[in-house]
Amino acid sequence: MGVLKKSPELCILKEIMINSLAGFEEQSHTADLEIKVWGEDLPSLFTAAADGMFHLSGIEDYEKGFSAVKESISLDAMDYEGLLILFLEELLYRLTEDYMMFAIDSMSVSTDFSLKAKLKGTQIRSYQRDIKAVTYHRLNIQETDQGYEVNIIFDI
Amino acid sequence: MISKTDLIKISAYEWEIPASYRPDMRVPVRIFASEEILKDVTRDKSLEQAVNACSLPGLVGSVKVMPDMHQGYGFPIGGVAATRYPEGVISPGGIGYDINCGVRLLGSQITYEEGEKYLGELSTALNQTCPSGVGTGGHHRFSTREIDEVCRKGSSWAREKGFATEQDLRRTEDRGRLQGADPRFLSPRALKRGTDQVGSLGAGNHFIEIDLVSKVYDDRAARAMGLSEGYLALQIHCGSRGLGHQVCSDYVKSMQGAVTKYGIVLPDRGLVCAPMDSPEGEAYLAAMACAANYAFANRQVLSHYAREAFESVLAGRIKDWHLHLVYDVAHNIGKLESHDIDGKSLTVCVHRKGATRAFGPGSQELPSEYAMIGQPVLVPGSMGTSSWVLRGTTAAMARSFGSSCHGAGRVMSRSQAKKAIWGEDLLKELKRAGIMVQAGSMAGLAEEAPAAYKDVDAVVETVVGAGLTDKVAQLKPLVVIKG
Repeated sequence: MGVLKKSPELCILKEIMINSLAGFEEQSHTADLEIKVWGEDLPSLFTAAADGMFHLSGIEDYEKGFSAVKESISLDAMDYEGLLILFLEELLYRLTEDYMMFAIDSMSVSTDFSLKAKLKGTQIRSYQRDIKAVTYHRLNIQETDQGYEVNIIFDI
Repeated sequence: MISKTDLIKISAYEWEIPASYRPDMRVPVRIFASEEILKDVTRDKSLEQAVNACSLPGLVGSVKVMPDMHQGYGFPIGGVAATRYPEGVISPGGIGYDINCGVRLLGSQITYEEGEKYLGELSTALNQTCPSGVGTGGHHRFSTREIDEVCRKGSSWAREKGFATEQDLRRTEDRGRLQGADPRFLSPRALKRGTDQVGSLGAGNHFIEIDLVSKVYDDRAARAMGLSEGYLALQIHCGSRGLGHQVCSDYVKSMQGAVTKYGIVLPDRGLVCAPMDSPEGEAYLAAMACAANYAFANRQVLSHYAREAFESVLAGRIKDWHLHLVYDVAHNIGKLESHDIDGKSLTVCVHRKGATRAFGPGSQELPSEYAMIGQPVLVPGSMGTSSWVLRGTTAAMARSFGSSCHGAGRVMSRSQAKKAIWGEDLLKELKRAGIMVQAGSMAGLAEEAPAAYKDVDAVVETVVGAGLTDKVAQLKPLVVIKG
């Protein structure tokens, strides 16, 4: 169980509290990797999904302190699922191409399926697993009593 | 969940899910499996995914699934689907993120007795000359203009640069160059990701392996392929790396809109597609061909490095250390091919997602040396188990769009495998069995443990029993290089 904490410096790869409002959990899948993600609102769901993806990448060695690189991103999609994929692909691209891991400083998700986020990045030295892609397979963001929930399958 | 009672038995190795099983099926599913293998496959979602794939517009015949099937992310792995060209659809998910992931086999004139004492040195040399591992690129970084050339020309680019021989090209599917590749349909990100990965293995289930040809089943075919019992051979398994992954991601995204535009209703967004004669379909075909060519060039450059490794260790020590290409096959690809459907010759796009082309004797696509015996079909086993060299048959042309299986197929998830198996223990176990392994990570090794896969021999018995292929030779692993 990996769970998101609010402080961006601490949100990555930690295993803490079970009954948190946002988090992720690895699921069993024959060939690929699947995580269940939950959050009280869409920004926390998206942030927990990013956290889960970094966890699956097996980042073990990174510069402490997410303040060296600050960036803003702005994304548009046709629906929330498409937006989630765009967001994760953006982070995945920066991870594999630039060896950068990002913590989410602030994020807003609008009803027109657009997202704006401020990110704080840190340089990583290595990661353990190549994730080829974030897939659309059975991707369906659902509202729950506590907020939102989604299962994401990564092709590896 | 689909159970055995939903299936119609055609033969001991063939089953059908009729199109009446679900209203959105346009064609039936044909499953190539023994009773034993069916038990494994009904445990995961592969058959459900095959049924989902039957909803694609323009399908002909039936959707086939091979005995090494397991669940994927839309299409099942081990799936084959043919759509009528040009009005039928092409689906990036039916080809996969690792476009033209494939295998090549190189034979040698090195006997086990001659080569045995050098296996340790060969293992080290291969590990040094062939870049592998997570995030590891090739020896060179190329300009995006040069990557344009790689994407247009595939193995021909490798030939121009001195990485390939004419025989290498002749013995690669489509001479290592798919027609219609147009780099203008690649995103800047896809091109950029391609710049430093030509000639790199990657990680996951990709490998380079030195094998022993342990048993020959078909003398004539083995002779044509230059394979003899007791001699060493080499396999390379990898694909189009980040460039291919990016192409698939880009087009799965762009086709989300295309589905709505063309009024296509699908049970799963992982199956998104577009008619081949639409702008979206044409763009994907051109981009997919680029990634496929990149993969052909990648395996070719790796072969060159492997040849250098063999030369550096064996030159002056044994008489003939050369490696000759037996064949190179793609197992994640969409190909425009002519097939006889209900007595008519049709051009179709055959999606092979974790399935290998297995053209029979007389096929015009084969080089003259294989015209009489049929196409070599390469079926790598899981690490530590046998791999197989098979040959395509005339029956495969009629029953599976000239296709066969591509490997063992997973039965255990990666997290289960990691819990059940320690990489270090596996390494010792393989060493006891006489197999040397160079692995990038112990956890990665455990995920790829033989116990996580089906029995490749049972998979091969099924495709042979079903008449899709004939056995040519069995290979036993001696040295495995994993990323």
